[in-house]
Order: sequence, then C-alpha cells, then structure tokens
Amino acid sequence: MSYLTRTLGNLRKIGFKEFWHQLNYIGDTKAGVLVGVDKFGNKFYENNEELPLRTRWVDYAKHDHDAGHIEPLWHMWISYGVDTPPSQDPLAVSNRSWASPHHIPNHTQTRGAYKPYNTTKPKIQAWEPVAAARQ
Amino acid sequence: MLSSARTGVSLALRAKPTSHLVTYRAVAAISSSSRNDASSAVQSHGGYGIAKRERKEVPLPSQEGTKGVVQYALTTLDQITNWARQSSLWPMTFGLACCAVEMMHLSTPRYDQDRLGIIFRASPRQSDVMIVAGTLTNKMAPALRQVYDQMPEPRWVISMGSCANGGGYYHYSYSVVRGCDRIVPVDVYVPGCPPTSEALMYGIFQLQRKMRNTKITRMWYRK
Repeated sequence: MSYLTRTLGNLRKIGFKEFWHQLNYIGDTKAGVLVGVDKFGNKFYENNEELPLRTRWVDYAKHDHDAGHIEPLWHMWISYGVDTPPSQDPLAVSNRSWASPHHIPNHTQTRGAYKPYNTTKPKIQAWEPVAAARQ
Repeated sequence: MLSSARTGVSLALRAKPTSHLVTYRAVAAISSSSRNDASSAVQSHGGYGIAKRERKEVPLPSQEGTKGVVQYALTTLDQITNWARQSSLWPMTFGLACCAVEMMHLSTPRYDQDRLGIIFRASPRQSDVMIVAGTLTNKMAPALRQVYDQMPEPRWVISMGSCANGGGYYHYSYSVVRGCDRIVPVDVYVPGCPPTSEALMYGIFQLQRKMRNTKITRMWYRK
C-alpha cells in the first residue's frame, strides 16, 4: 500500500542513499531482507509484509537492466515458483551437469543479437554478364 | 545503391576480369545497410545464400560515447523525453486471435499493466504503440496498414506471437500474411504460440529499453 507513512517508515529503515537509488530503478520505497546475490551481482530482496506479488524484488547490477539478467533458479524464486531461494536450496547445488554453467542473458539490442540467416540454395540464379574481349 | 551497383557493373564490363572482381568487392563493402537487398543478392550469387563479404565493424549509434558539453546537455534532454515516452505507453490493440486473450491478461490484476502506465486505447490517433496480436490475414492487412498510418509519430509496433512474427502455424495458408513485418515496421518480436502475458510484458520492457536508448536530439545534432 502506498501510504505516506509506509514510504516514510521504509525511508527511515533504508536511508536516503538507498531511497534515491530505489526511486530511480524500482520507483518505490521498499525495505526488505537481502535474500541473496547471484553471479551477475543482482541483489534479491524479500519482505512478506508487502502486498501479495510485491513481496520479492530485485535490484539489478547493471544500469541498463533487463529481466533476462536473472538466472533461471533465481527467476523461479522471484516469480513465486519456489519458496526457498537457490542460495538455500539443496536442489540448486545438486548435480546440474545438464545445465549450462553460465547463464546466457538476452543479447537483443547488442552486437550479440540473434540474426536469422539462410542456408538454402537461392531460388533465383542471377545472370552473370560475360563480355567477349574485342579482337 | 542500385544506381551505384549499376555503374559498377558497367565499369566492370569495360574493364578486365580481375578489376571486375575488385569493383564488385568495393561495392559490396559499401553496402553495409542490409543483408537481403536485391543488389547484394545479385553480387553474392557465387555462394549459396551466405554472402562471403569482409566483416566491417562499425560502432552502433548506441555504442558511441558522449563527447563534449553540448552532447551531455542533449543527453539530459533525451533522457527526459524518453522517460516521458516510456512511462505512458498507450497501445493500440490489434487483437486478431488467441494472442489477444493473453494481451487481455496483461491488463488484469495479476500483471496489471496500469502500474506501468499502459492503457489500451481504442483510437489509433491517441496511441503510441501497436500490439499486433494474432494471425494477420490478407484481408486484414490493408486495415492494419491504415491503422498504423493513422497513429501519430513517434510510434512503435510489437509483433506478438508466431503468427504475427512470421505466419506461424498458418505460414503456408493461402490467405495469411507471412509476418506482419511485411506490412508495418516492427520494433519488438515476442515469440510464442501464444506468448504468455509475462512474455509480452518482457517484450514491453524491451521496447522501453529501446526507448531509453533512443537518441533524439543527439541524432539531430549529429546531422
């Protein structure tokens, strides 16, 4: 709930610096427990006093942030698929050799973006002009 | 582009075969615009679809840094404009098929698009972004183009679902447009059949990212 008292209370808990940071990124003032930090440096917070579906949030490491920066297991946690965060989940440390060791973020709008290409033979055969040399 | 290629060809016809190859390569290096335009297709007829051209690395406009006082000032102006644009995105709904149901879910309380400033407008004249959700048929295509033309600048298009991206399941149908990018320029493609509301929301976030990185006054200053 966006009462002024809630905002002021959270401001008292987190301080002005964090308040300004949150205002620039999540647009709200929230105070919660730091649940964990993933390999990218994204910080995950939780506060179960908030409204449903607003209880877990992320503070991205990069300024040009993107939900694709969140690793799969953390994605599962932040979208309420599981309740135990991967930092405390025994499943997360079990044998995951089938999974990619590094999370691949979404490279769209960068050099690494996917470009479709064609491997089939072209249907159009272009005419190649050959001029005979003058005798 | 075509005219320069034509002069290249006519030059090559006059010159010896070795210089003919060189001319072609020079023309191919100039055309950094697109992979599939007709002239480059003519030039690369030797290969099987994959053009063997020399790689040319040019920094994207988004990769160029800020230089000088004027550019820093214009960056601030751009940031203000982009902030205003990205935080009140009014979509023109072009719901055509089952994707439209997922688009409707985006406006319901679980995903709650209103918190992002997104309000569906029924009028193209008051909307910023068009979400093409579903199969675009040949019969609907003129209407889609008309609605797109009625939207004021700046305008964006989100292509939602396989059918809008490239025909999808109905690709080989006689009555379906093979992708709405044949009719309107598309900014964001959301894959899926249909994409979940989360996927569409992610697509909207990508569009907002694109808006954030848009250089408006800076490009004007550069030109």
